[in-house]
Amino acid sequence: MTTVSSDPTVAAEAATRVGRARTLPPLTPKLVAGVGLAGAIILFGLIGPLVVGDPSRVNDIGLSGPSGEFLLGTTQTGQDVLAQLAYATRGSLIIGAVVGVLSIALSAFFGIVGAYAGGWVDEGFSLFSNVMLVIPGLPLVIIISSYVQDKSLLLIAVVLAITSWAGSARVLRGFTLSVRSRDYVAAARVSGEKSWRILCVEILPNLIPLLASQAVFAVIFAILGEAGLSFLGLGASGSFTWGTMLYYAQNGLALRLEAWWWFVPPGLLIALFGAALSLINFSIDEIINPKLRTQTRAARKGWGFSRRELKTIAKEDEL
Amino acid sequence: MSLKSPRRRRTVGVVGSLAAAALLLSACSSSPESGEAGESTITVFNGSTGTITENFNPFSSTALQPTNGVVFESLYWYNAAQDEDPVPVLATAFEWNEEGTELTITTREGVTWSDGEDFTAEDVAFTFNLVAETPELNTTGLSAVAEATDENTVVLTFEEQSFMQEPSVLGNRGIVPEHIWKDVADPITEVNSSPVGTGPYTVESFSPQSYLLTKNENYWEEGKPAIDQVRYISLENADSASAALLAGDIDWMSSFLPGLEQLLADNEQLSYVNTPALTTSIFTCSNPELGCEGPQTDAAVRQALYYGIDREQLNNLAGGGFASPASPTMILPERDARWIGDSANSEVPSGAEVDQAEQILEDAGWTEGSDGIREKDGERLSLTIQTVSGWSDYISLNDAMTQQLAEIGVELNPVQLSWNEWNNNQTLGQFQLSLDSIGLQPSNNPYFTYNRWYASTQTVPVGESASAGNAARYSNPIVDEAVLTAGATSDEAVQAEQYAIIQGEIVRDMPYIPIYVNSMLTEFSTENAVGWPSNDDPYALAAAWKSWDNGVILKTITPAE
Amino acid sequence: MRYVLQKIVFYIVAFWAALTLNFVLPRLMPGNPVDIMLSKLAQRGPVTPETRQAIELLLGTDSQQPILDQYVQYMGQVLTGNLGISVTFFPAPVSQVISQTLPWTIGLIGISTVISFLLGVGLGQLAGWKRGSWLDNVIPVTTMFQSVPYFWLALILVFLLGSVWQIFPINGGYDVWETSPGWNAGFIGSVIYHGTLPALTIVLSSIGGWMLGMRNMMVSTLSEDYIVTAEAKGLRPRRIMTTYAARNAVLPSVAGFAISLGFVVAGSIVTEAVFSYPGIGSALLQAVGSNDYALMQGIFLVITLSVLGANLLVDLLYSLIDPRTRARA
Repeated sequence: MTTVSSDPTVAAEAATRVGRARTLPPLTPKLVAGVGLAGAIILFGLIGPLVVGDPSRVNDIGLSGPSGEFLLGTTQTGQDVLAQLAYATRGSLIIGAVVGVLSIALSAFFGIVGAYAGGWVDEGFSLFSNVMLVIPGLPLVIIISSYVQDKSLLLIAVVLAITSWAGSARVLRGFTLSVRSRDYVAAARVSGEKSWRILCVEILPNLIPLLASQAVFAVIFAILGEAGLSFLGLGASGSFTWGTMLYYAQNGLALRLEAWWWFVPPGLLIALFGAALSLINFSIDEIINPKLRTQTRAARKGWGFSRRELKTIAKEDEL
Repeated sequence: MSLKSPRRRRTVGVVGSLAAAALLLSACSSSPESGEAGESTITVFNGSTGTITENFNPFSSTALQPTNGVVFESLYWYNAAQDEDPVPVLATAFEWNEEGTELTITTREGVTWSDGEDFTAEDVAFTFNLVAETPELNTTGLSAVAEATDENTVVLTFEEQSFMQEPSVLGNRGIVPEHIWKDVADPITEVNSSPVGTGPYTVESFSPQSYLLTKNENYWEEGKPAIDQVRYISLENADSASAALLAGDIDWMSSFLPGLEQLLADNEQLSYVNTPALTTSIFTCSNPELGCEGPQTDAAVRQALYYGIDREQLNNLAGGGFASPASPTMILPERDARWIGDSANSEVPSGAEVDQAEQILEDAGWTEGSDGIREKDGERLSLTIQTVSGWSDYISLNDAMTQQLAEIGVELNPVQLSWNEWNNNQTLGQFQLSLDSIGLQPSNNPYFTYNRWYASTQTVPVGESASAGNAARYSNPIVDEAVLTAGATSDEAVQAEQYAIIQGEIVRDMPYIPIYVNSMLTEFSTENAVGWPSNDDPYALAAAWKSWDNGVILKTITPAE
Repeated sequence: MRYVLQKIVFYIVAFWAALTLNFVLPRLMPGNPVDIMLSKLAQRGPVTPETRQAIELLLGTDSQQPILDQYVQYMGQVLTGNLGISVTFFPAPVSQVISQTLPWTIGLIGISTVISFLLGVGLGQLAGWKRGSWLDNVIPVTTMFQSVPYFWLALILVFLLGSVWQIFPINGGYDVWETSPGWNAGFIGSVIYHGTLPALTIVLSSIGGWMLGMRNMMVSTLSEDYIVTAEAKGLRPRRIMTTYAARNAVLPSVAGFAISLGFVVAGSIVTEAVFSYPGIGSALLQAVGSNDYALMQGIFLVITLSVLGANLLVDLLYSLIDPRTRARA
């Protein structure tokens, strides 16, 4: 999942070509849509819980459709779906954020530091992350999470982070290795700059787009992973996330009782949030790898495009 | 592509010709008499999930569920659905001596094993001796020597007075054929893949996804069973079970399906029966002397919880409206009313009796604190209640009770744990409140309930494992004495007196707070078979997972016309 | 030589780490199998203190033994292929439970992963070749399928295609009523029919990743100088696309495929839960639910081995198709 879009060698060459000049992505429609969507969902997760009522409050009208009182209807026990959704959004976003930060920290440490230091440190770190990579994550998470007492949101997040950083570390290592051998880094070293300075000032800025893209992947992975765990009944207990909401909806046979207002919204929010992050990632990818941006028309003609195809492409370029 | 099963109602046009052929096939086979395809088959989902491994060893605790009752039979059958005398199966009479140390059993004549050999008293004696001599198989603590004194008589001689062994000896032990089992090298790990039993069905075929039982042609009861084949399948969860039921794939299953009436509404062949038998209760760690901590060690708090909850709302929200009233004596008010000593204790209140609950707390010195939660000597009346994550009806109970109890100034903090942790906490006594249920014992005699959950012989201090039953750490010499006396007699009048004493104590002390008798829903299809237990005629406990009753139901139902 | 040595060390360390992790984790879990089995028994009938003793005897759980001895014993057993006895399925050995579930998992999820990979790479190649075509525009959509929670999508599809329109069966690995396992047309047909919907959901939710990866690599490769050279030589576009561009562009995808093939067994858990499919994933969930140490260890081991095996296979394959790997060696 994480490895495909950023082949280290290609990306590295590309990034150094771009240099440090451009680290902010251009405002493409994809990016605008992605940021807008993700922003709206994050806002809902932040403000929602403050506005809605108590998500656990039961009510005598169970499983009623959307109405004036309950905008998204109620669950089996008459709990307000909208209130639950707000709390669940917050819960899932917390998991996403914690996993994103932790797994980036871990992968940066094992990937970048290892690659920069080289030698035995690199061998050891690389071996360690490769081993972590081949140890299957989901079964490990299942076993660990059935071990942990009274699972809180944070614990689930930590478990997910521990099992998910290795892929990114490998990508980062490849990238760092190629940046490290660039001339300007060598020049800095010769001029007597300190190692940490080279790492932070010369190398790290080049890695920012890649780190961002890996973080986005980690967030998607975490939210989906938590939902999967919850579906299996192994998620965070006693707290609301999109996954636990789906779990209870599924347990309450929401789909079969045609209570779509209970089953659809959490899944849809996950999908939308994931899509928004993917859109953002598309844009980041295009910075990391400028070849993905546009091709010259001449080249296209040479590759046997028909006139009509060229026209559509031309239109696209103007967009 | 598939040849659609003729027994299924689903008609599908995946591939024109094949589907048409399947339809043709189903048209031919719809009448029950038309050759092999007309054999009556029903499909049972008994709650097994995932892969199935073969094990028809009636001594094994992991045996496949139909092993006991369907393939192997016991001497008597104790009906858990009704208050009635044990029904003779492989025995026709039994008698205790005065002291309760010798049990004489008369075995049934004219019974043959499914391989054609005759069933005799020797087989019965062999079975009990095998159990008594093999500690690994002896899960009921049987200490007896069995001897076949003649063709049809077995005498079990116990080491001590054993009236209360009666249900487990007579009703909970499948009898195996001596001529086969005497050659079994290791009865512990034997999987017994082609079992020879006396039951109404024998094993026809097995695969890890499903197994098929077929009619025992030699069955001793004339004209039974009427259904030719019984198939057992495995499904993952309630959702797939409900889907399969609605698709017509399942004839008999027992799952709590939310919105059951709505699901079955359009389907006249599907029906259900509700046989409440388990009392959902709040288990409390009640005994400070054995190490329990928290406000619930005060009997007044337990009483207040008992009166403070609104059971009608709980039933509507969590019980699907299917639960029936419990009794504070933990006796099922419908089935076993005759065992309730004081009729004032026959049923729990249905609504919340807020005034009474508050009065109890006031009298006990729990006064309202600044945040609305009561307190006493600086201790807040705040309780943690544990349940298993995923047990959605219990979680709903907790949500609703949290709200209800806030009215009387009690704070409830629900936590959800994995089954392992929940179970671990409960057996070790490391909990304040815990949701669980009480019921379904070897026989309907309340002795088993009182002995298991209330006797101090069944408990240990907090920190040790009380897996025997008394998780509340309840310890009361009066109750102990009465349990002992009741267990030492077979005279029901004496027992009833003793139970009345126990009831007086436990209704006051309330170590387990009854909520309601939870529903036990069983769904049937009358497409292939009729004659299922119903509310009018609950001739056996309908649950598809109940071992011994299964055999009775399977030999009672008949093919649908 | 260093490359080979590195690889060997890597596989040995990974194997050892997996084994050890496998040993340590279940032992840290709360509860012990005897208590759990007792409580399960209690739901079915009476439980006495004698029962406890009987079960302890039965399972041979001797918690007094020092952990180090257990570790040595465990290593010895695993290396001789003895995975112990399952508690849940007593007295069935773990290897029996695994062998009756593993083929289903590999069959269903293995095949759908291969289909997804081939289809994804093929379509990604075309999309990268014809940038801006309709196919290229479909890519963001397929990527979005990846962000949809797999089980949610699968449950909706099961509900619609299985229950509402009744095109596909809703659960199980084959039609247990009409067929019995064996090499006959009826059974095989039934297996394929029952596997179609689960396979479809897997392909739907995973194809986007392959497409995107391949398309991006294709686009990058097409701007390489040797493509221009090839074009200047007047080679036919088709040849440029397949022999020059795609062959090089597919390399990262193959590496990704190694990992994903190994995760077949792991990823099956959710699929099998949705479709009541009789594979190894549902056996793992059963094992976790009943603290079945032996079964959990066995299944985790099989999953890890399959990941390691798949990686090894691709490492070998990769060195064949990518000469640079050999040069590094």
